[in-house]
Amino acid sequence: MQLTHETRKGPSALLRRIPRQSLVAGLVLLGALGLATTMATTEAILAPLWLLAMAAGFTLQRSRFCFASAFRDLFLFGSGQVMKGIIVGLAVSTIGFAIIMYSKVPSPGFEIFPSEAHILPVGLSTIVGGLFFGFGMVLAGGCVSGSLYRMAEGYVASWVTMGGILIGLALLSQTWNWWWEATISQEARLWIPSTFNLGYGGAVLLTLAALLTVFLIVLWWEARSGLFNPDIQVEKEPDDTFQQKLLILWRSIFVRGWPAVVGGGVLGVIGILMYMVHMPLGVTGELARFSNTIMSSLHLPPPEALGLSALGGCSALLGATGLFTHSFAVTVGVIAGSLVGALFANEFKLRFPRSAKRYVQALVGGVIMGYGSGLAIGCTIGAMFSSIPSLSVSGWVFGLSLSGGAFLGVKVIKRLA
Amino acid sequence: MELDVRGEICPYPMLKAVEAMKKLKGTDTVILFTDHAPCLSTIPPQAGRYGYTFQVEEIGQADWAITLKPKEATI
Repeated sequence: MQLTHETRKGPSALLRRIPRQSLVAGLVLLGALGLATTMATTEAILAPLWLLAMAAGFTLQRSRFCFASAFRDLFLFGSGQVMKGIIVGLAVSTIGFAIIMYSKVPSPGFEIFPSEAHILPVGLSTIVGGLFFGFGMVLAGGCVSGSLYRMAEGYVASWVTMGGILIGLALLSQTWNWWWEATISQEARLWIPSTFNLGYGGAVLLTLAALLTVFLIVLWWEARSGLFNPDIQVEKEPDDTFQQKLLILWRSIFVRGWPAVVGGGVLGVIGILMYMVHMPLGVTGELARFSNTIMSSLHLPPPEALGLSALGGCSALLGATGLFTHSFAVTVGVIAGSLVGALFANEFKLRFPRSAKRYVQALVGGVIMGYGSGLAIGCTIGAMFSSIPSLSVSGWVFGLSLSGGAFLGVKVIKRLA
Repeated sequence: MELDVRGEICPYPMLKAVEAMKKLKGTDTVILFTDHAPCLSTIPPQAGRYGYTFQVEEIGQADWAITLKPKEATI
């Protein structure tokens, strides 16, 4: 791979060539730290939540950790790169989450769940939510978290998708009570340690074994589709002096994309740290709150959502008021962290799709995905990446349904090329 | 052939590159212009799969030209 680098021109030339975007990145970082101290005066844990969410956004951006592509590229290109990253992240998180949950509820019994764990109802709502979400994210070209970090990178289509997500969440709020009566009220929250009487040890082993199985299936799938990594001809960078070594370190963190497996592992650790501070990573709660606020200001307030507040996951904070809430810190923190990542990499750029078709696709995909995320009480992060490590059955059902939706989505986007 | 996919959303940059390689079957070089950074790591494995070598050149800020050459070509 040929990359232009200015190391050969000497340090003074290098200094002059510090990209303007890196300077802006520094300013954003300073502003974000300032905001952290402001938030801390509202509530102490807001500051660590905000900073960890920024780290998560930075990681998502650096490793282009796109859950939509993880599912889509399996069907479209036979590539499992990002899916393997997700599996690694889930395995890391599972162990950490289990320890945290053990400290909260040492002996798992029926109906006693560790606080803040993403143990969601399992049933038709999970399946329909997953199918909608999987289809919508493939149509839009990014899931909820993917759209958040792409918004920060300057992808205008992702802003349109975010608009769609808010509309989808608003439509769901208006119809939630129907879903509640029809199915969710009868759905059980299945927690592997208690429901199957496995305890923490058994539940962790079962989850890890299942993850390993999926990993092997992905490997088999890649081999079947004839995918292989060619020898990449990377131009060797000079790394003799301390300065050059530092530069290489800087570039591998801030400029070059991270391998998906690294991104997944780091996200897994961040998820654990967030749960240690207060709650696992989840981004749709704040979006749902935002969507409800908009609807209320349009004099179309959503009806009181039956049963939702007791379900946990991304729904737990819907009632929170004020600007600086937990979910604000987490969701907006992801955007801020992604922005810092994109700027340091000199990758921020407004990108406008050239055909009108793409805007429609981004919007419609967003609406369908938003509706699905409301129904499943979370997105690929809240209802899967934070739910499987919570040893919840819902995360697995949601993940499987996502695959089904993504498969259908791939059929459609191929025709829209 | 030249393929300008700047501004395209995921997965079209990659999909169009793959379709071009499939269609040309190694008869021509594909030069892909893209502003989509993920392409830099996702296109190489696909190039290998269809018998192409690849080379990335940064031609501007978040702007790349990816040259996909058939492996056994005399072009």
